Amino acid sequence: MDEIVKEEIEGNVEIIIYGIINSIILSLMALGFTLVYSIARVPNFAHGALYITTGYITWILLNKLTGFPYPLAIAIAICVTAVIGALIYRFILIRVRGMEISEIIATYAIGLAILEGLRWGGLRGGTFTLPPFISGSVQLFGVSVDYQRLLIVGIGIVTFACLYLFTHFNRVGLALRGIAQDERAAMMLGIDSDMTAIVSLAIGSGLAGFAAILLLPLGNIIVEVGYNVLIFAIAVCVIGGLGSWGGTILASFIIGFAQILTEAFLSTHYQMVVALFAIIITLLIKPSGIFGKQKELEERV
Amino acid sequence: MKKLIYFSIGIIVVLFCAPIATFAQEKPIVIGAPLATAFLYGWDAERGIKLAADEINTAGGVNVAGKKRLLKIEVIDTRDLEPGVPVADALLAVEKLILEKKADFIVGGPVRSEAALAAMDLLSKHKKISILTTGVLTPAYSKRIAENYGKYKYCFRNSSEVPPMMGDFMALLEDLHKTKGFNKAYIMVQDVAHARAGGEYMKKALSEKKWEVVDMKIYPTGTTDYSQGLIDSGKKGAQILFLWMDMPESAALLQQWSNMKLKSLPMGFMNAAEQPGFWKATGGKGEYMIVNLVNGGNAPAKITPWTMKFVEAYKKKWGLEPEGYGTSSSYMAVYQLKDAIERAKTTESDAVIAALESQDFMGVYGRMRFDKKTHQIIHSWDPKEGAVTGMIQWQAGKRVQIFPPKVAEGKILLPPWMK
Repeated sequence: MDEIVKEEIEGNVEIIIYGIINSIILSLMALGFTLVYSIARVPNFAHGALYITTGYITWILLNKLTGFPYPLAIAIAICVTAVIGALIYRFILIRVRGMEISEIIATYAIGLAILEGLRWGGLRGGTFTLPPFISGSVQLFGVSVDYQRLLIVGIGIVTFACLYLFTHFNRVGLALRGIAQDERAAMMLGIDSDMTAIVSLAIGSGLAGFAAILLLPLGNIIVEVGYNVLIFAIAVCVIGGLGSWGGTILASFIIGFAQILTEAFLSTHYQMVVALFAIIITLLIKPSGIFGKQKELEERV
Repeated sequence: MKKLIYFSIGIIVVLFCAPIATFAQEKPIVIGAPLATAFLYGWDAERGIKLAADEINTAGGVNVAGKKRLLKIEVIDTRDLEPGVPVADALLAVEKLILEKKADFIVGGPVRSEAALAAMDLLSKHKKISILTTGVLTPAYSKRIAENYGKYKYCFRNSSEVPPMMGDFMALLEDLHKTKGFNKAYIMVQDVAHARAGGEYMKKALSEKKWEVVDMKIYPTGTTDYSQGLIDSGKKGAQILFLWMDMPESAALLQQWSNMKLKSLPMGFMNAAEQPGFWKATGGKGEYMIVNLVNGGNAPAKITPWTMKFVEAYKKKWGLEPEGYGTSSSYMAVYQLKDAIERAKTTESDAVIAALESQDFMGVYGRMRFDKKTHQIIHSWDPKEGAVTGMIQWQAGKRVQIFPPKVAEGKILLPPWMK
């Protein structure tokens, strides 16, 4: 009898631990997408491509330049991705700003070009990987968890906190929030809308890269991951409410736990279905998402 | 003086024009290779085909009734392994090879079973001989040829198929049952048709042999977290993790397995674990994984005298070892065609079919013989009798052939935490 109780407790602990890990992973994937939309009102469909680009740049630096330090490779890759994001706005999106469909088409086309370009350029097969920051695993309440996942949880929480502090106590962060809340009023106060959008694209792309550096050591750097990251980012944002950071985190936890529960009690191959099913339910019950502010369905992506 | 000038001109003409005239005499034999070139099973096949063609051309070409003809390879990307690409696209690629590139023979793919099965009618319509070398494992291919020989006699396959592969796995598992007392297996497969079928096939086969299949999990393509299934397998006391996945992300499964130090031995058909780069990619966490490379020679081994010769030639030309399934068979197919054409003394289809059916020589992975009814390469555990499988285990960074016993170069090792 004791054995059965012990097994049940272990089973629940497993779900809680891996549910939290999965949720933080999802929120990290979506954070950059949400930031860009909340400030620049641009749905950045190149998000997944920028995610993979960062991983690939890091891989090249580590593997083609012997003895290149891992932290420096990470820093360079994230900076390059941030610059790419800024350039995408400065030279392409600025011309279609405010035209939602054109923005979607433009960013999706850029993403597609980057991803398929990487494939064409040699990013093929399963041998492109990044090393974990710390190798090995630990028993946590009787459940085996690898250090990289624990790091993801820790760094994820710190990232959310830093972003909160940045947008509430930093001059640039406050300007970003100002634009996000009321663009016209912010412009009247001297905040440059386009420059803010460029900064938001750069930070959003940098966040996509940051997530890639943390998450890619769990798997491989492959083109298909770029598409999956985009799907999950959109799912999380639609459910949480486009542009809502709180909604993003809450939605990540909803989908993250739903996936783990599905795997534990239903079947593993419904994991992807859960995210898509949650989008449908959200669109039916509350089309603007949990914390979404848009009321008109036409405004939604 | 005039004589000297005429003589010099004559010498120049002979020197510069004669070789051109010799090569221009015979048009090359065109081999069309429809392959999913962005994927392992496509690019390694392409390399194998090109290597064989280069070797044959360097040696003078194919002797067709006394006339030497060079081989020309035309590769086309079928994209049939990419998700969402319709079968029709692969068929268009095959048709383009036949009609535009004027391919005399087809070697390689299409790589996905559905596309290869659909291409059979096309090959029959154009009366083009095809040797399938990679990707397609379905027994439906050979069955179809046997059922309608007159129509599908143009189709051959020199690579293994699911039933013999499963036989190889079962022999290995039965050996582990006898020597180590293993009797519990946990199956983890990808959510694609061939992997689900492979998982179901293995579940049935193991149950019939009194093994306990404690669970079977199906994972969507792109999964990077296998923790729940792995923890579950540990709780249920699985000693064998039987895996069937062709997505690169499955390398993460082995990393998690190694981190958790599960008391189970992973084995199966796993695309990610085939390539030499797998070791570095997993930081050595894939050690002890047993992988079926379908045909011998896809990793270094001493199966026949030709095996290592092929491996060395491949390394010299491409700078790395043969990477996985589809390499040795694609290389071999070009030599099989050469042999058949030379014996048939023509490139005419019916004569070459007859020559392929009567073919019998020692190749890279054993004796090369086609079954006359199914046009399937004859499989055996003895290279003197037929084509042998390439079953390897990752040991200290190397792919070591561990099955069949006649060509094994090492024994199965268990992870230290299992002892």
